[in-house]
Amino acid sequence: MGIWDHCVDFLKGELAPAEYNTWILPLQAAEEGGRLRLFAPNRFVKEWVENSYRARILEVTGRLSKGQVVDVTLEIGSLRRGPSGDVLSSMAGHVATSGSSSPAPDYRSDSNLNPDFTFDTFVEGKSNQIARAVAIQIGQNPGTAYNPLFIYGGVGLGKTHLMHAVGNEILNSNPKARVIYVHSDRFVGEMVKALQHNRIDDFKKRYRGVNALLIDDVQFFAGKERSQEEFFHTFNALFDSRQQIVLTSDCFPKEVPGLDDRLRSRFGWGLTVQIDPPDTETRVAILYSKARHMGIDLPEDVAFFVGKAIRSNVRELEGALRRLVANSQFTGVPINLGFAREALRDMLAAQDRQVSIANIQKMVAEYYKIRVADLLSPKRTRTITRPRQMAMALARELTKHSLPEIGSAFGGRDHTTVLHATAKVKVLREEDSSIEEDYKNLLRILSS
Amino acid sequence: MPAPLPAPGPAPGQGPWPASPIPGPERGEAGHTPSGGIGGLQLPLALSPSAESDFSAYLAGPNAEVVAALTAWARPTATDGFIYLHGPTGTGKSHLLQAACQAARQEGLAAACLPLDHPGLEPAVFEALEDWDRIALDGLEAVIGQATWAEALFHLYNRLREAGRGLLVAARSPAAELGIQLPDLASRLTWGATYRLRPLDEQDCAALLRHAARRRGLKLGEEAIAYLLKRCPREPGYLLGLLGRLDRASLTHKKRPTLPLIRALIEESRG
Repeated sequence: MGIWDHCVDFLKGELAPAEYNTWILPLQAAEEGGRLRLFAPNRFVKEWVENSYRARILEVTGRLSKGQVVDVTLEIGSLRRGPSGDVLSSMAGHVATSGSSSPAPDYRSDSNLNPDFTFDTFVEGKSNQIARAVAIQIGQNPGTAYNPLFIYGGVGLGKTHLMHAVGNEILNSNPKARVIYVHSDRFVGEMVKALQHNRIDDFKKRYRGVNALLIDDVQFFAGKERSQEEFFHTFNALFDSRQQIVLTSDCFPKEVPGLDDRLRSRFGWGLTVQIDPPDTETRVAILYSKARHMGIDLPEDVAFFVGKAIRSNVRELEGALRRLVANSQFTGVPINLGFAREALRDMLAAQDRQVSIANIQKMVAEYYKIRVADLLSPKRTRTITRPRQMAMALARELTKHSLPEIGSAFGGRDHTTVLHATAKVKVLREEDSSIEEDYKNLLRILSS
Repeated sequence: MPAPLPAPGPAPGQGPWPASPIPGPERGEAGHTPSGGIGGLQLPLALSPSAESDFSAYLAGPNAEVVAALTAWARPTATDGFIYLHGPTGTGKSHLLQAACQAARQEGLAAACLPLDHPGLEPAVFEALEDWDRIALDGLEAVIGQATWAEALFHLYNRLREAGRGLLVAARSPAAELGIQLPDLASRLTWGATYRLRPLDEQDCAALLRHAARRRGLKLGEEAIAYLLKRCPREPGYLLGLLGRLDRASLTHKKRPTLPLIRALIEESRG
């Protein structure tokens, strides 16, 4: 045990658990002769420790080392254990460069691309087939058409996966291509650091010299004017030199809030594609794909049970599958329908609590800008009847309530009214694209 | 009894730490010359709950699967890097998070546990935490309703995932019931396995008291355990706190933990 370990032990005895866990344990130490170098993970922790515990640490280390530690410093950084001992990565946020001694640059690791996110592992369904087809074309012929590609849709529907797949496809065709995937927040963070360290030219060179730039969640550029300005020039440079740009967001380009108009308009220059929430069949296919990847043989009835129960997004679907597999491995019980019902009981109960008839009525009323009282009233004008039918159909799809229970919750209506509303909405969704759009939007709002 | 070192307090200034020599051990100073301890110091007895925050001190009861999952999370070979844990107060969330980080450190991983209800914390505390192998965030409900915290956690989540690190989050409720206004974050919190901690039943609580008393070397009879369980809330935190006080009172008064002593402590704790 070194002096710092003894000091930590000592402080553990006299500090409250929360203080000890928050401020002392995250510090790492390197002892060099009479010098003790402490590393805080970030500026916030460093300043807090300096203000609150500096004197105490100095005193305790001095006493415990019998005066051998003559110098204690606190820096921002971290120590990582390596095969040849501790490696210092000083300065918060500095990316450790393990493997950088390799003479040939590994473009794929430099690109931040996840090699698992390919078109092969992307499950196609009605909700994403156009986006997938376009993405494949771009992956095979980057920079020639559809530039930029703007993919938008709700959370957890595969936008990032598709974006990585484009990048991986470009690299498969041309391993020397310079492709960078970056989340908008990281783009901002890197730019701020480059400005702080007077290396903005390096930053510009890095991003303006690529063959394909993939920027995820551009909505997080909102309100960051300097970053938008820099990205605007990066965009222009890449676009003018016919390099591929792929962007994702949670909404349509013109609706991204907090963005400069000139950026918004540029986002719409190429092709904009939407990814919708997957239907039941696609959700089941996704489950099969994930299970296969995990080496699990998922029974059909279980896949349909989970696929029907978890509608919100693919992440939650994957979370449910992980829970199921972990439970099966822990108990040694094979995965079957009864097992799945029991293992996911808590998760599904939480979901049921989220989607109540009252919640559906509130959301539908807000969506159509009417009052909940109108939905429950005897009024039969078209502006009220249509939302009411939508709400009934959604209640039928999203809750386990019976027809009479739903009818009763809508001002004491008969169960045949609910049956009629459900059938009517089904027909309208097929005939009228605006109704289909409304229904999908409401489904997404209520399921997320 | 040796006098404790002066209480910690804020130090003036925020500049670099002095490179000047730190005062050495004051051997002649009263209260710092015991023969035991390190460097002439008598280390205080580690009686606080944090001192026992390892898996062996947690009575799993109905939560054995959670302990297994967190034990796996703490290993360098973990396959489930992202875990969401929820359960009511008193089910041992904080204990488990600290135990998981301690286990990870024993495996040679850099691990830190942050209680988000700690006063004065700001979202900047998440900066650069992706340099760590395992991060545990306790008491998510304390901050996650605030947009700045939600966005900071969203970005931390992405950075941790990109860097191949592990994140363990604990809250009182499932992610969907925390009122998170950022859907991107809410969906990510459901991406890994979610576990619910179940409260201990009476039998489990009795086993917990037996186990904790044995670790302290306190002789606690079945009659005393039954007495405690009849009169106290079935909350492990409360019961263990009471047991700690009972242990100290027993040592101070040099008495066995008799029913009158227990009764007096219960009445004292009710104020």
